Amino acid sequence: MKYLAITLCLFISPLGFAQDDVFDLLEVTQNKKYAYATFKGTQLVNSATNETPGAGVLQYIIAHRFGSFGEDYLYNFLGLDNAQIRMQLDYGITDRLNIGIGRSSVLKVVDSFIKFRAIRQSSGPNPIPISITLLSSANYRGERYADGIDHLIADRLSYHHQVIFTRKWNSKLSTLFSPSLVHWNLVPSVGDPNSTYNATLGARYKLTKRMALTGEYSLISNKSYSDGSAFTVPFGVGVDVETGGHVFQFHLSNTRGMSTPYWLSRNSYSALNGGLFLGFNISRVFTLRD
Amino acid sequence: MTREGGLAFDAGSPLEDIIAETKSATAVYDAQSGKIGFQVLMTSFNFKRALMQEHFNENYVESEKYPKASFKGFYKDGFTKGELTMHGVTKSIRVPAVLTEVKNGIRFKSTFKVSLSDYNVSVPKAVSNKIDPYATITVNCMMKKRP
Repeated sequence: MKYLAITLCLFISPLGFAQDDVFDLLEVTQNKKYAYATFKGTQLVNSATNETPGAGVLQYIIAHRFGSFGEDYLYNFLGLDNAQIRMQLDYGITDRLNIGIGRSSVLKVVDSFIKFRAIRQSSGPNPIPISITLLSSANYRGERYADGIDHLIADRLSYHHQVIFTRKWNSKLSTLFSPSLVHWNLVPSVGDPNSTYNATLGARYKLTKRMALTGEYSLISNKSYSDGSAFTVPFGVGVDVETGGHVFQFHLSNTRGMSTPYWLSRNSYSALNGGLFLGFNISRVFTLRD
Repeated sequence: MTREGGLAFDAGSPLEDIIAETKSATAVYDAQSGKIGFQVLMTSFNFKRALMQEHFNENYVESEKYPKASFKGFYKDGFTKGELTMHGVTKSIRVPAVLTEVKNGIRFKSTFKVSLSDYNVSVPKAVSNKIDPYATITVNCMMKKRP
């Protein structure tokens, strides 16, 4: 167990203290204090936040994205009959370093990521106004290609690197700004960019101690490929509900892909055409090492 | 006085250990008047589990709104009596305590229980079987003589 480093003087100048003021000596000077609980979850809707599980904590996330509102949504029970899922297992090696793996049913993508809280927002002496968190992922598409070519491993890989700037303004409001780079090893033709640049804006606002509204919106650099595929800007709004070791996140978004490159850089759904999906992420943490 | 006073907190139950400690409480005692006081920053409590610590600060004691807990009172004949302020609520308490003279100072020890509901710390029903409604506070401070 770590204790806060205390380097306060034991002896305060005895001058000028009347007997009545003995309690004045109690005043505690604020030590360096890191912002905690900037966000409830390690992700907002789709986008990663600055949060990581604590050291020795294993986190399991199960996420669903249901079918669209555009496709017979009453018949499909608001899309619940057509669920896409992603499962994630990640672990806090330290309080700042986090690694994980995931598998999503959209295009059978397996992903792995590493996340590091490089700079943490703090108050007290030498305060730092924001947190900066680094995230990288590698993603492998398992689904067979329809073009008849035997795509090997390299073709199936895509990468995502992100810098996550977050700030907890007060106990209710936190915001996020994450520029990122997605690199696709395979694009339809030579003229198409392999790398796309994206930026996600997000926020959460706490309504009660255990419930918050969340929202995110991303800007993307590449909106189409030469083969005619077109991409839309991803967004989502949601509600976070926290109960002890679980965080429930219910949301509405225009995305179905759950591995980052797929929802961020190649999202093809448009809310205006009924491309809206209900979804949730549920996390559960297990303390493996105290 | 000391600025490295030890304070521990236990609201655990057979189902879950909920224990936290701090080594940065302030304590002051004036032998002439018998006045004794303590103060602690809620965020200085260290839990074994980071998530538990987050919940403690965010959902239970609301450290951003009420950053400190303090006690101001008197010590007399094996008891301390005074006002305990926590989570924005002030209540009079009288608890047994032991003051022993040691080299260069005085050691203060006390263990007592406080009711969470007295201090408006609300516990959701879903976890009420995991949290003791009476938290046990253990104070152990070695106060050095001030020159």
